[in-house]
Amino acid sequence: MTVAPADHLPSVKPEQEFIAPPSDPDEERIEAGVAIVGGGPAGLSCAIRLSQLIAAEPRLAELLGEVPIAVLEKGPRPGAQLLSGAMMSPSALARLLPDVDPSEWPTYGPVDRDAVYLMTSRRALRLPTPPPFRNHGNHATSVARLGRWLAARAEAEGVVILSETAATKLLVADGVVRGVRTGDRGRGREGEPLANFQAGSELIARATVLAEGSQGHLTGAALRHFGIAGDDPQRWELGVKEVWRVAQPLDRVVHTIGWPLRARARYREFGGAWIYPMGEQKVSLGFVAGLDYRDARFSVHDVLQQLKTHPLVRGILAGGERLAWGAKTIPSGGYWAMPSKLWAPGLCIAGDGAGMVNVPRLKGLHYAMHAGMFAAEAIFDALKTGSADDLSSYQQRVEESLIEDELYRARNMRQPFRKGLVLGGAIAGAMQATGGRLPGGHWRSEDDAVVDVFIGKRARDYPKPDGKLTFDKLSSVFASGNVTRDDAPNHIRVRTRVPLELALLWQNMCPAQVYEVTAASTTGRDALVDVTLTPSNCIQCGAITAKGGRLTPAEGGDGPNYQET
Amino acid sequence: MSSILVYVLHHDGEFNKSSLGAVCEAGRLAAGLGGQAAAVVVGGDDLSDDLCRSLGSYGAARVYRFRGPEGLAQPAIDAIATVMARDSHRYVLFGGGLLGFEIGAGLAARVGGGVTMEVTQVLVRDDRLVAVRPILQDSAVAEIDYVGEPGVIIARLNAFAVTSGGDGAAVVEDVELELSAWSTRTRMVRRGERRGAEIKIEDADVLVAGGRGLGNAAGFDLCSQLAKALGGGVAATRAVVDAGWYPYSAQIGQTGKTVAPKLYLAAGISGAIQHKVGMQGSEHIVAINKDPNAPIFEFSDLGIVGDLNKILPKLTAAIEDGRGGREG
Repeated sequence: MTVAPADHLPSVKPEQEFIAPPSDPDEERIEAGVAIVGGGPAGLSCAIRLSQLIAAEPRLAELLGEVPIAVLEKGPRPGAQLLSGAMMSPSALARLLPDVDPSEWPTYGPVDRDAVYLMTSRRALRLPTPPPFRNHGNHATSVARLGRWLAARAEAEGVVILSETAATKLLVADGVVRGVRTGDRGRGREGEPLANFQAGSELIARATVLAEGSQGHLTGAALRHFGIAGDDPQRWELGVKEVWRVAQPLDRVVHTIGWPLRARARYREFGGAWIYPMGEQKVSLGFVAGLDYRDARFSVHDVLQQLKTHPLVRGILAGGERLAWGAKTIPSGGYWAMPSKLWAPGLCIAGDGAGMVNVPRLKGLHYAMHAGMFAAEAIFDALKTGSADDLSSYQQRVEESLIEDELYRARNMRQPFRKGLVLGGAIAGAMQATGGRLPGGHWRSEDDAVVDVFIGKRARDYPKPDGKLTFDKLSSVFASGNVTRDDAPNHIRVRTRVPLELALLWQNMCPAQVYEVTAASTTGRDALVDVTLTPSNCIQCGAITAKGGRLTPAEGGDGPNYQET
Repeated sequence: MSSILVYVLHHDGEFNKSSLGAVCEAGRLAAGLGGQAAAVVVGGDDLSDDLCRSLGSYGAARVYRFRGPEGLAQPAIDAIATVMARDSHRYVLFGGGLLGFEIGAGLAARVGGGVTMEVTQVLVRDDRLVAVRPILQDSAVAEIDYVGEPGVIIARLNAFAVTSGGDGAAVVEDVELELSAWSTRTRMVRRGERRGAEIKIEDADVLVAGGRGLGNAAGFDLCSQLAKALGGGVAATRAVVDAGWYPYSAQIGQTGKTVAPKLYLAAGISGAIQHKVGMQGSEHIVAINKDPNAPIFEFSDLGIVGDLNKILPKLTAAIEDGRGGREG
């Protein structure tokens, strides 16, 4: 009997639970011109572009009221829940703020040297850098820092940023998106109101932008409600990242393939590591792996710990100290999994939430920012005509841009890796060389949750944490800055009695030790077991949504508090 | 002349332990500044002359007593601001706790002073005080210098040890003042202990803390028995509070309480950093765990690798025997 997460889904009905018509009395509503959900690169670029456009149109500014642009950010402050590699292509930042000199950008500057290694357990074989990994001219960036910087710019332009505010429902009436409902605060573990309880409120807007990032809560519901999901199911990879202070500056951008992943096709382990310089004193180090792997004991967190024991990586980190840690999923379905429509009446969807990620190139930041700007321009044009019901010009702008062009070229490059690293790599190489024309066609991808899992021996390879080079998950959660209230309601929807395979899958997959299979609950190989949850550890990476559960927004302000991830 | 003022909280005729720690620290710092420490107390008839004088043995030269409502922030701010307007005090120190935070912050606003919170250490440097506080979830410390005076220093709860020094008696002075209009707009309805905690764990000298290694909720009985024998309190980790084995009021750690008892006995606690930050200030840490690799052994003074179910009852029995076979 095979076990796949998709056979053990909790009862969640996004279209019914997370979409509702406005219901608050008029006097209790908050009104904004444009509501933007998510203070990341997409949302903040949208806000800044929109404020630039409105500044030249005083009549429209007046129409949009006291709060022309509101950004809802679930984190404690903008940037606090952003995490990326990140090598950023600078085209979007240059377009958004043409007057700002690149020397003032919140980046660690452009890089000019690349190195790609094929790893074995002891050796690192330098490969000629494949085209997607060439980063010449791209900027090493902390997206948390970029978010802080963009937020300060946006606020200076008059954008209202509502931090610690989760958007829990999309308000839709007569087929038109009317805004969002914000989450309640101050509820106890069983959902009971505590002394500091504050009910959420309705934020009514003339147009709404969903820029929620990977695994967007409302995005998922909106795609179903409006029937605009992509041809293929969306799929995800999980990235775990550390920031290190190092003794020796790193002089190149490093990518690795191979070890510690196992190449055999039956394991379906796909991914690799990055090591980027962050100026002279710090490096960003991380591991990304596809969530379609099969061994329930596979753990990206621990694979990253394993990677650090390799002589190449150990040498880079020697004499250093871990400063920060975090994790996040990355949509990797690519072109075929993008929403068939990026808009609905009164709504635009931008950035990672819309699957705008180029997996072979490990790029998405600049797509998110461009898309945010396109959404701003489309909404601006529509509002000038009096209504944001028709936002089709957003779709047009995206389709005529580099987003569509680059993602189309890479449309089939992730899928062949289910055949294993060697054959998959060869096919992807042919695709790369021909701009995606060979072998061509539409390589289907499948939902991560339908991949069956088995209990393998992956865990025996993980190093024992030493607290200096390698760490246990709880120490990592601590380094994320997560100080979520312990008596907050559980925001993770999963079944808590499942086959052992699935319980172990979650326990190992989760980088923040949210799921635990206790000895007492393990009754036998075939029986169901209890899974114990510690939701306050959650750093909202979103992996559970890909693998048989559903993440919903935690109370605003809860979750990680990233500084430089 | 006095140089450092300390707000001292009391309840039921007894001074609060973290306040007493702050008085001791103020006495030491004032000596370093060539001045004296003084205390402010607010309350009713339970603030007897003798009780107030006893603060002298902890380092206060003078005690300003204001007969007013205890436990509210604004009347205390009125009292402290009045004392400060009359005599010159360069710094005001608070022992921490929610009330200390509220009074300290309000006072800083009232008198235009600089304020530092969650302070764990205070240094005397160039005839000035420098506050030291952990930042970034306790991963680093910052030294904070006051560019002007007065400076308000609010300590982390139990940051300063209580060291009773001899039999000195403080001069007690009653302070007369008219409360501000806003200070009479709230009144104390009731003061009481939080439910679920038999003993206030922040004040306990001895704590027996239980973790998931206890196996189940019943395992806490072993902790309770040992705590009773030692005359201490029972504390818990987040994991067991989450599991419903023990009330949240006893939770130690990052998202619970911070304690610094003389003895912290950790039973079945692995010692994750989230727990460590709440108890690392303990004077002596004894850990019992069956896993010899548990991180707690890295910061314990004494570590015992073994089975809790056998060790705890034996320890309890040995302590009871040592005290002459008391009941239990």
